[in-house]
Amino acid sequence: MLAIGNLNVEFSGKLAVRDTSFAVQPGESFGLVGESGSGKSTILRTVMGLNATWNGSITVDGTDVRKTPRKQLAKVVQMVFQDPYSSLHPRYVIGQQIAEPMKINGIANPERRTAELLELIGLGAKFQFRFPHELSGGQRQRVAIARALALSPKLLLLDEPTSALDVSIQAEILNLLNRLRKELGLTFVIVSHDLAVISYMCERLMVMRNAQPVETLTREQLRSGAIVEDYTKALIAAA
Amino acid sequence: MSDLVQIENLHVAFRNDDGGYNDAVRGVSLTLGREKLGIVGESGSGKSLTGRALLGVLPPYARISVDTMAFDGIDLKSASPKLRRSLRGGRMGMILQDPKFSLNPVMTVGKQIVEAIRIGDRRIPGSDAKKKALGILEAVHIREPERVFSLYPHELSGGMGQRVMIGMMVVREPDLLIADEPTSALDVTVRTQVLSILDELVTRRGMGLIFISHDLNLVSKFCDRVIVMYAGRIVESIEASRLHEATHPYTRGLLSCLPQIDGSLEPLPVLNREASWAGAA
Repeated sequence: MLAIGNLNVEFSGKLAVRDTSFAVQPGESFGLVGESGSGKSTILRTVMGLNATWNGSITVDGTDVRKTPRKQLAKVVQMVFQDPYSSLHPRYVIGQQIAEPMKINGIANPERRTAELLELIGLGAKFQFRFPHELSGGQRQRVAIARALALSPKLLLLDEPTSALDVSIQAEILNLLNRLRKELGLTFVIVSHDLAVISYMCERLMVMRNAQPVETLTREQLRSGAIVEDYTKALIAAA
Repeated sequence: MSDLVQIENLHVAFRNDDGGYNDAVRGVSLTLGREKLGIVGESGSGKSLTGRALLGVLPPYARISVDTMAFDGIDLKSASPKLRRSLRGGRMGMILQDPKFSLNPVMTVGKQIVEAIRIGDRRIPGSDAKKKALGILEAVHIREPERVFSLYPHELSGGMGQRVMIGMMVVREPDLLIADEPTSALDVTVRTQVLSILDELVTRRGMGLIFISHDLNLVSKFCDRVIVMYAGRIVESIEASRLHEATHPYTRGLLSCLPQIDGSLEPLPVLNREASWAGAA
């Protein structure tokens, strides 16, 4: 579903991602773990086309992202950001925000689909006339997820989807994401610094440090402690 | 020696749209010795407001009422704003969540620490103040304090910024430190370092620490005693080491909704809030 080969991302002469390769199978949930500045969010942003200066190869669902027009790419891959307070437009009602990608892409009946999406994420259609400031953090993150699902993408990139939320709300959002993945057959790439969240959500994970991958583990390896690198061990000890 | 902090029946209320008042903190009573006290709860449970009320930095439109509020024998309830001002910084300090918003962006961090020192002691010579600032940077485990001294906040990483803030607060050696989510913006690896610095300060200097957090596991590992707040009330107060024996359904709910590295893959239990939790405790 997603294949990244020898990716290098450079910001003003400094490499933010160095020689990174990995592949994510359809239906899989893949985790990226590491400290701030290790390049995990940069990878997601590069896949979405939000960084200009990179080299290497990125293919999403078999097509090269460099050669795919943005509108077409948006139908395959969508992203959910960390902070639901800044990722929603403060002066649009949420129904409008969820319908926006559908209007841009000329999808018929955006209003009905918006209502369906709101039901799907557990808010209900009556929420579509509310403004973001009228919602709690957890509700806003649900709206951001609904907007990401509006174009029925196959791949969802989640950048710290719950780290701005309370633990009780985190559980609700993680359950929602797992349910959606099962029901809609989605593929996830989840960035988090919380190993417990990754272990709960992902079948495989890659640990990153200093812009480079440290190692790739399966959930079983993580849980049974079959870990090679000292850095991963330190992360687990600190968690 | 008596307790460092005593609060009895604290209420904080804010005006709502129809002119009435909504209580955000409702009847909180607590005492603190020279120990690490954790306050946990969700957003809006009143934990930060409690800390701020103690420090006296709530906005003027907040309505505060309290039966007793004392700090080291000083009655804060009747204290003049001037007296309370003199306590802040020198004897009570506060560390906030995000160093990005709490440091002056157009002043080097060294100058900011020196400023904090000079507010406390106006007659200290410049060279001594600088020496002291470098010393505190070293105490909060910053490598190359000389270099960091002349950096601006935007040149620091989050963890370094947070350590600078801690340094700035503890350089005056306060008796009480209120840390409001001091590690939420930090990576796990940096978090461990910051916590060990705080721990060292509490143990070595005999400070009292109020540690406000929403992370139950962290608090149970780090603090001596934990207070759990819900909807402006204290629902449970328990020894940190015995947190996992907590009895209140809210505390139990918070504990069980955390994913574990080696936990089950079934849907996580979600908190079912009961109206009675917010009622009379």
